[in-house]
Amino acid sequence: MTNVRESQAPVQPVETQAPVGRDEPRRRWWQRLGLTTRTRRALISLAVGVALWEFVARVVVEGTLFFVPITDVALAGVDMALSGELAHHAWVSFQEFVYGLGLAIVVGVPLGVAVGVSPRVKDYVQPWISGLYSTPVIALAPLFILWLGIGLASKIAVVFIMALFPITINTTAGIKNTDQMLIDVGRAFGYSRFATFRKVLMPSALSFIVTGFRLAVGRGIVAVVVAEFFGSRAGLGYLILVSSQSFAMDRLLLAVLLLAFTGIVFIGLVERLERRLAPWREEMTV
Amino acid sequence: MTQQPMVSVSALRLVRENRGQPLLVLDDVTFDVADNEFVAVVGPSGCGKTTLLSVIDGLLPRTAGTITVNGTTVERPGADRGFVFQQDALFPWRTVLSNIRFGLEARKGDRAAKNATARELAALVGLAGFEEHFPHQLSGGMRQRVNVARALAVDPQVLLMDEPFSSLDAQTREVMQEELLRIWADRNKTVLFVTHQIDEAAYLADRVIVLSARPGTVRTSIKIELPRPRTLELKRTPEFVEIVDRIWQEIELTDSGRSLTTSATTTTK
Repeated sequence: MTNVRESQAPVQPVETQAPVGRDEPRRRWWQRLGLTTRTRRALISLAVGVALWEFVARVVVEGTLFFVPITDVALAGVDMALSGELAHHAWVSFQEFVYGLGLAIVVGVPLGVAVGVSPRVKDYVQPWISGLYSTPVIALAPLFILWLGIGLASKIAVVFIMALFPITINTTAGIKNTDQMLIDVGRAFGYSRFATFRKVLMPSALSFIVTGFRLAVGRGIVAVVVAEFFGSRAGLGYLILVSSQSFAMDRLLLAVLLLAFTGIVFIGLVERLERRLAPWREEMTV
Repeated sequence: MTQQPMVSVSALRLVRENRGQPLLVLDDVTFDVADNEFVAVVGPSGCGKTTLLSVIDGLLPRTAGTITVNGTTVERPGADRGFVFQQDALFPWRTVLSNIRFGLEARKGDRAAKNATARELAALVGLAGFEEHFPHQLSGGMRQRVNVARALAVDPQVLLMDEPFSSLDAQTREVMQEELLRIWADRNKTVLFVTHQIDEAAYLADRVIVLSARPGTVRTSIKIELPRPRTLELKRTPEFVEIVDRIWQEIELTDSGRSLTTSATTTTK
C-alpha cells in the first residue's frame, strides 16, 4: 500500500502549496505525462526487457531462426494487422475466453455460495471440487474436442472447466471467512437468514470472489491456447501452433505477446475492481 | 403502583457443551434493572459476564429461567435491546453513516428518514463530518463511537454493552467513559454494561453487580452512591477509591472461592 501513496504524491499539482520561488524543482518528464511512479517503473522495466531482447537477437545470436528480433515481431504484427488476419485470430480467442469465463462466473459464484452456506451441499460437492481442482483438467481438452467439435463450444467448455474452480473455491472461502461477530451483529439487529446473507455474507465475500476472478483469468488464457492446440481452425493458439510448424517465429512470438498483453489488461482491471470493492484489504499478490 | 423493572432476570441457568461435557456456565442468576438505571456487571474472568449479556440479548439460548425486558419474555434478539459489541464489529465495506444505519435497514420506512436518524446519531457521538469515512480510516475510539451509535440508532429501551472500551488505550477509554455518560444522560436508556475494569464500573454505574467465578451467579450488588453528573476528577476522590476497593474485595473473595460473606447480598435496589 505504501507504494500507492508514494506513487500518488508526485501527481499532486504543486500549485496548491505555498510558492517556493525560484528553487521550485522543474516537473520531471513523467510528471508532465501524468504517469504514476508505478507505471513509470513498469514502463522502464519493459523498455529494458525489449532492448535486451533486440540486442541479444541482433548481436549475440545473430541470424538464428529460433530467436528473432522483437522489431521483426512488430513488423509481422503490422503485416497481419493490415491483412485482417490478426484481428480474426484475436477475435476468435477473445470470444472463447470471454464466454468461458462468463459461464464460469455465472456457475461458479452460486456454486461457491451454496458450498459456503450449506454444510449439506458442501459434503456432496467438496470431493468433486478437491478432486478436479488438483488434477490437470486441461488434459481433458482433447476429450472436449471429440465431444463438442473443433469450433467455439469445445473451447468455451475448456475455459469454463479451468476457470470454474478458482472462482468456486474463492467464493466459498469468502463466505467462510466472514467474521462471526459481523454475522452476530446481523442477528442482534433481527436480520433474517436471507438478509444476513445479502447484507453481511455477500459483501464480505465479494473481495475474495474478485480475487478468484483474477486467478481464473490466468487459467482461462492458458485454457484457450491449449484447447486450440488440440484442434481448431482459428485463434491465437492456432496461430502459435501453425507458426511453430512452419518455423515462423515472428508470428509465434507475436501471438504469445498478445496473450501476455491480454493477461496484463484483464488482471489490471480485476485489481482495480478489488481496490474499489475492498479498499481496507491489504493489497494481495498472487 | 410499583414500578416494573425494565430488565428482569430470574433463576437463569445456562449449560453449554464443552468437548462433549456439559459445562454449567451460569447458575441461578437473578437480578432486576430499573428503567433508566445504569448497571455494570463485573466478575472474575471466565465467569460468564459476556455470555450473560448474549443470553439477555437472545443471541444465545438459555437452559432454564426467565428473562423479561419491559414485561416481555426474551426469546430472540429484538428491537427493544441494542447490543454494543466488544470489538467494534463494524462492516468494513460500509461508511460510518451506513454502519450506523445498519440496524434501521431491517425495518420498514423510507431511506431518507433512516439517513436523517443516522446523521443525528453520528452527531450525538461526536462524529459529525466523518459520516462518509470508512472504518479503516478511523481511530479505535472513533470506531467504538460508531459501534455505540449503531446500537442507539434503533432506539432500544435497553443498551447491552459488552466490554466496549476494553480494546482502547487508557486515555481514549476515559474520554469514551465520559462521552457515554453524556449520551446516557441525553437519551435516557437503561444500560447493562459488562466490564472487567472495576474503576470503569464504579465510575459509570448506579449499581455494580458482582458475579462469582464459574458457574456465574450473582454474588452481590453494590449501589454506587456518587453524585451525578460525574466527571473524571471523581476518580481521584477517596470515596471513589473506597468503592473500587470494596468491589475488588468482593471479586477476590469470589475468585478464591472462599465464601466468607455467606450472606452475599449487601444491598439490592
